[in-house]
Amino acid sequence: MQWSTLFQKELLENWRNKKWIWVPLVIILLSIMDPITNYFLPQIIESVGGMPDGTVFELPDFSPSEVIMMSLSQLSSLGVLVIVLLSMGTISGERKSGVSELILVKPVSYSNYITSKWLSLLLLVWLSLFLGLLMSWYYTNILYGTLSFVDFTKVFFFYGIWLTLVVSLSIFYNSIFKSSGLVAFFTILTIMIMSIITKIFHHVLDWSPNNLSIYIQEMLTAEKINGDLWATSGVALAISVLLVLVSIQMFKRKEMAG
Amino acid sequence: MVALLTVEKLTKKYGTKTIVDQISFKFGHHKCVALIGPNGAGKTTTLRTLAGLLRPTEGTIQFESQAKNQDIRSWIGYLPQYPSFHSWMTGKEFLTYSGRLAKLTKIEAATRAIELLKVVGISEEASNERISRYSGGMKQRLGIAQAIIHKPKLLILDEPVASLDPIGRREVLVLMEQLKQEMTILFSTHILNDAEEVSDELLLLNKGKIIESGSLQDLQKKYQTTVIKLEIDDSVDIYQEKINALESVANTKIERGALFISTVDLKIAREEILTLAAKEHWPITTFSINRASLEDMFMRVVNN
Repeated sequence: MQWSTLFQKELLENWRNKKWIWVPLVIILLSIMDPITNYFLPQIIESVGGMPDGTVFELPDFSPSEVIMMSLSQLSSLGVLVIVLLSMGTISGERKSGVSELILVKPVSYSNYITSKWLSLLLLVWLSLFLGLLMSWYYTNILYGTLSFVDFTKVFFFYGIWLTLVVSLSIFYNSIFKSSGLVAFFTILTIMIMSIITKIFHHVLDWSPNNLSIYIQEMLTAEKINGDLWATSGVALAISVLLVLVSIQMFKRKEMAG
Repeated sequence: MVALLTVEKLTKKYGTKTIVDQISFKFGHHKCVALIGPNGAGKTTTLRTLAGLLRPTEGTIQFESQAKNQDIRSWIGYLPQYPSFHSWMTGKEFLTYSGRLAKLTKIEAATRAIELLKVVGISEEASNERISRYSGGMKQRLGIAQAIIHKPKLLILDEPVASLDPIGRREVLVLMEQLKQEMTILFSTHILNDAEEVSDELLLLNKGKIIESGSLQDLQKKYQTTVIKLEIDDSVDIYQEKINALESVANTKIERGALFISTVDLKIAREEILTLAAKEHWPITTFSINRASLEDMFMRVVNN
């Protein structure tokens, strides 16, 4: 009962501050940008003056699976940034402004407080991702060739797990820092460090969450879900849940005021 | 009868700095207790610790006969000195939300919100406006409403009137006077007039320690000064000598045209002075026995 009150408040807040509008729009924009610009690249080059005479420039023919991977690539950089910006103040902002004093002085359970925020963010992120990838899938189909709806749902599901990890990381740092800036900084820093470590130790870190995109691409090429993808998704989900559990503990230990 | 709140040796430290130092006190039901002290005395830290927002470094807090140091948030309401709200919500929404968090049902929370908006004097129209448009006084009253939405047994208010203009201040003090019939109020203030006006009991806090406590009357009696203030429709100088000659008078001094008489024995001095004045037909305009104001008392205790 109390959980749903907190969750509904999050949904309402995201509606009032227009997050339900701008986040899906930005994610859609990022998802369709590459499929469309690549398709119209010859026209774009022409309109900016064309190539020098005699230049032979062969534009690659992209396969539908390559195109949807371009969308994921955009989401992995700018999309992650959007999610970090979106979530950086969700707890830290309330603590800094002092609203959390009025909330947490009521008999509110800390786990309800944190999980309601986590799940409301996930709902927003997953819905935006769904709309973004759906649009990307639509353009891929009309501009590049067929990508089955089943493949689209698989991409959506597995990539959603990566973004779940990003949200969980942000929640984790939210429970530690009062400054939204520090939350954003450390979330991005962690993702970068994870990426570097995965690249350096790629021979041992088969199931690092940063490999999700690679396995998604393999899945599209091989047209089947391999064991590594399942395992990597499992690891990413497990880390996410663990981060939230640790956040709750951190939050309990933190003093709400002072 | 079991005390409502029993605090024993409560201490709060930040690193090596002790903000609240081994304070102990208790008070019963339906009291209005003022925690007074200068800025930086540790009032806010004490109240936040009692409200469960800070963890005590040492010591215990016991609510009625519950176990010591257990979660008492269900029974208390708290209003910080500078309350901050979800400013995108309307007043009514915020109150209902607070009620739901305090485990009221949907209907209970909504009904109680409407009832409390009336009690704290926020109109129907204003209650549907976003809190970002509220004045300071309205926010403070909304803050009190959210603190009492679940009918707590103890209401903790941190400097409830410090930031308000005289009208807002009066409104909140009147509200506190009403609320004290239903619950115990513990409030901090450094404005001694406010404490004198609404409180039954006082806790004087200075440098993290409780330096005096008791009912207002008891403390006034304890710190009563035996000074008589005399004003005469004439220069008081010519009467000073005659008064000084009285045996019951210790000494006298003139301040701003009035004669302040310190007595050896107030009762006798009063009789002697009035008898002398009647006999010699002094044109007296003021004859008063100065009781210790909370301020005098506070200054004396703090300076000691």
